[in-house]
Amino acid sequence: MIKRVLIAVAALAGLGFLAVVGAAYLIGFKQVSAWPPAESVRPVAEKDVSRAERNVQQLEKRMTALLPRGLYIVIDTAANRLYLKEGAKVVREAVISCGSGVVLEEPGGKKRSWVFDTPRGEFSVKSKITNPYWVKPDWAFIEEGEAIPKGLEDRIESGTLGDYALGFGQGYFIHGTLYTRLLGRNVTHGCVRVGDDDLKAVFKAVPIGAKIYIY
Amino acid sequence: MKRTIALAILGAAALVAIGRGAAVDRTALAKTQAALTTEYGQAKDSNFYFVLDVLGRKLELRVRGMVLKSWPLRAMRFWGNPGFAGTVELVRKTTLKAPERIVIKPGDTEEPEPAPAEAAKPAAKGAAAPASPAEFDLEALELKDMPKKFSLDFDNGLRITIKAGAGGSKGLAGTLKDAWHWYIDLPLRNLFGSREGKKISELELTFEQGQEAQAIYWHFFDGIKGIVL
Repeated sequence: MIKRVLIAVAALAGLGFLAVVGAAYLIGFKQVSAWPPAESVRPVAEKDVSRAERNVQQLEKRMTALLPRGLYIVIDTAANRLYLKEGAKVVREAVISCGSGVVLEEPGGKKRSWVFDTPRGEFSVKSKITNPYWVKPDWAFIEEGEAIPKGLEDRIESGTLGDYALGFGQGYFIHGTLYTRLLGRNVTHGCVRVGDDDLKAVFKAVPIGAKIYIY
Repeated sequence: MKRTIALAILGAAALVAIGRGAAVDRTALAKTQAALTTEYGQAKDSNFYFVLDVLGRKLELRVRGMVLKSWPLRAMRFWGNPGFAGTVELVRKTTLKAPERIVIKPGDTEEPEPAPAEAAKPAAKGAAAPASPAEFDLEALELKDMPKKFSLDFDNGLRITIKAGAGGSKGLAGTLKDAWHWYIDLPLRNLFGSREGKKISELELTFEQGQEAQAIYWHFFDGIKGIVL
């Protein structure tokens, strides 16, 4: 007797669950049938057509005005690729190295830390330097477990940045590298490393003020 | 007489066709105007934004109106309230195992771990070098470390789940879990309302390659704004 009651209760519970799920599906399918909302925009009123057309033309002009003029640089930090572009056309594509994303913490309870990310956003070429030398910042010594020198001359290192460097602000540069076999990997301290030939071509092509988009 | 009637019918048909054509154009005009207004609102700032074109079946990363990256959708499905289109802002990225940054603390260990630049130094002459740069195991956060399945929660309640179609077998447990979530959990939550009392809007986007999903995780930072068309 108890067994039969239990079976009946289980059956009722199962049926109830199925009924609820069925109701959920009915409501869900009704909503989904309204998606994607293809015709959700109301047509422009007859009398407003010319005004809307003028508005569209104005918006298109404004959008075009936002686009960079002349050559510009686009950097994909995930794929480690640099694109030299003019309009929609890719003039040159280069394999590069971007920031490693590593965090360096200063030992000795000094609480200073650095995140080695390549900054993302819209920048512009602020400086063009031939035969650049590297003024090693504090983190470069901390990372190598060396004492931070007091004199500027002890911080200067030549040859590390290659033949050319393009500065885009806050100490970040697009420059050359000694570690060409690591191009294509995220290994830098935030700068963008480019191979010699590509760097030379990009350096010669872009003027100061050229836009750089890093994403 | 017959010719007159035929001409009249043709004329009436032409008028109807012109009228319908004008109506279609006015709808297209309204759509263009709305899309341009919304996009200009985003593009006038220098920030990156995304455009999810549901009907065009693609997700794009843009800046200043330029398409930086475009990811075509392999498949998509949806449950819940369909009124989620418009401008949205990413509130949270959720994944089972979020990538973590490597923290280097020189001096805290007996032998300091080599920094990326050190690891990258050219090998000594005669040393066996790995065949491909991809073989180096670097201390770095790279695209390959990003998850292939994750969720993006937006300020209007929309949740987008991103996954890759060619991500390999999930196993029986994974398949059952996905089936439970999509075919039982979501319909019931949609019926009774979510925990926060908001109507659910859950969109699942499937991309062809795992790298596409990983790139979206990489490029979609918290706070990124976007347009859902």
